[in-house]
Amino acid sequence: MSQAPTQRINGLALFILPSVLLFALFFFLPIGLMAVMSVLTGNPVVAPRVAFTTRHYARIVDDPYYLEVIWTTLRIGLLTTLVALAIGYPLAHWMARIKSRTGHALLLMAVLAPMLTGIVVRTFAWMTLLSDKGVINQTLISLGLISQPLKLMYSETGIVVGLVHIYVPFMVLTLTGVIGRIDERLEQAAENLGASPLRAFIEVTLPLSLPGILAGSLLVFALAISAYVTPILLGGFQIMTLPVLIYQQISANFNVGFAAALGIVLLLISLVLVIAYNRALGLVSGQRELQ
Amino acid sequence: MMKALGSTRLSRRRFLAAGASLAIGAIAAPHVARADDPVLRITGWGGKWGDVMKAEIGPAFESEFKCKLQTDSAFPYLPKLQASSRSAPIYDVLHTNSNEQWAAAEMGLVEPKVDPKLVPNLADVYPYAVSDKIVGVSIFTSAIGLGMRTDKGYGSITSWKELWDAKYNGVRGGYVIPVNSLGQAFLMMCGTLFGKGQTDLDAAYTALEKLKPIKIVDFTGAMEKMLLSGEVGLCVIHDSGIYRYDGQNQPTDFIAPSEGVLSLEQVLTITPGSKVKELANAYVNYMLRPEVQKRLAETVWYSPANRKVKLDAKYDAKLLTTPEKVSKLIQVDWKWYNERKDEIDQRVNRIFRA
Repeated sequence: MSQAPTQRINGLALFILPSVLLFALFFFLPIGLMAVMSVLTGNPVVAPRVAFTTRHYARIVDDPYYLEVIWTTLRIGLLTTLVALAIGYPLAHWMARIKSRTGHALLLMAVLAPMLTGIVVRTFAWMTLLSDKGVINQTLISLGLISQPLKLMYSETGIVVGLVHIYVPFMVLTLTGVIGRIDERLEQAAENLGASPLRAFIEVTLPLSLPGILAGSLLVFALAISAYVTPILLGGFQIMTLPVLIYQQISANFNVGFAAALGIVLLLISLVLVIAYNRALGLVSGQRELQ
Repeated sequence: MMKALGSTRLSRRRFLAAGASLAIGAIAAPHVARADDPVLRITGWGGKWGDVMKAEIGPAFESEFKCKLQTDSAFPYLPKLQASSRSAPIYDVLHTNSNEQWAAAEMGLVEPKVDPKLVPNLADVYPYAVSDKIVGVSIFTSAIGLGMRTDKGYGSITSWKELWDAKYNGVRGGYVIPVNSLGQAFLMMCGTLFGKGQTDLDAAYTALEKLKPIKIVDFTGAMEKMLLSGEVGLCVIHDSGIYRYDGQNQPTDFIAPSEGVLSLEQVLTITPGSKVKELANAYVNYMLRPEVQKRLAETVWYSPANRKVKLDAKYDAKLLTTPEKVSKLIQVDWKWYNERKDEIDQRVNRIFRA
């Protein structure tokens, strides 16, 4: 007589079960509902007769205005990511390689300090600097350097400035961990073999820090394209991005289906960009696991 | 030796437990005592309106009608009502501007009219408050006109058309039309000013193109701040947005243009699925009482809808409190507007993009 195999419940599975449920409930379920709402004529919970439709997606494709909005959103996201990377990488490198503990602590505090203030407050602070009656314009006018205020707000530049200030800490903190784990002796070996410090950095440190660049860039890009407060306040409603348009459709047009379709389009475009970015970086760095 | 059961010795643990129980009891007691009171769920503005409602008007209603008033002041209200069940709506009484009330009525979320038999004070309101341009009843109105800085030497302004004067380039203020009632009403006024009437959208779009450069905001409070800071010098605004700074020596003034002022109504409607309809009607009636109207009007500078309200001289001089003054109000056909809202939004979003 054969003994029935006793199956033991994996302890690890039980441990991660709450996280999986939480993830399913607050991530997959809302996105799934959003996808369903985007192809319905109304809300099936409250409306009596609801049918499937593709009209929300057709509206996005048929009207070039919505394609312009999508491109504006992506452009702001990409610019913010590039500038945050350009500012964040040297800072992260410095933080990772600084020998003094006090120096590291001070740099960390400097990076984290802005995060102790809310996004709305920081954006309003930028408004006091960039507006027509703001510090920059008024100083330049009082010095006689300009006669009319410069258009620093209500432009994509203003939005990118505000977003970069908010998201640079995310880039720095992500990169610091990765750069900190790169063995300094690899750079020293390259220099011993005749490479200049710049070449050692380009040939050794930079490729090895690519996973950090990828993670930091994806984080900043995702946050930038979904930002609402900063584009609204610094763009003065004259720069339309997808989150602003989605909010407008829900709050003022009460068109949840169209808002859901816009959300799904944003999600798909982001997904495609993330996959493409991942593959491109993998090819450049030669790291197969990234491809 | 065994420890005696039921010992009365007060240990530290018992003392802390007793103290915590007493504290919880003291905090929860009023809520427990009122747990059986019916709850009327309403919407309402924040700021001074919210303050006076919370401190005086709301508690007085609760005391008189033995109920609990639950106010949602987190705008926007309509998407929340839209997402809730028709048979168990999130609100019993919806308070918002007329454009949203029309959208709510079109979706079947609110009852289109208030029953005069259940709301006796309806007999005393000005005709505009229950006109065919209104869903429910308008309990207050503001006049939408122009707000200006008086310290910039702009001179006398009498017409809406002066907003198009090139000297206001860079200091001209308006609204995000897709999301703001004042902006939408102003678009209709553009049709009247430069075309065949409110519904002449082509004339309105051409006029809006010529209005650039213009600083636009989504909320009247933001426009007030921009005017006070000098970021804008001449803007579209409602009278209460200027008058509420009365006595603060601000260099701002409200202009009622000669072509007429637009009406910004504060409208109450009742949801069809409300389980406390009697209380909801009582609330609407209460908000139309002369003493309630007077208190709110003199707090937030809204013109009362009840003809019997007698305001103090300072308020009476500026607000719309006589049939002659009220006759200057121009009401917008929101039903017509909402039917074309998507088309209008697409066009104005293009016009005002940077």
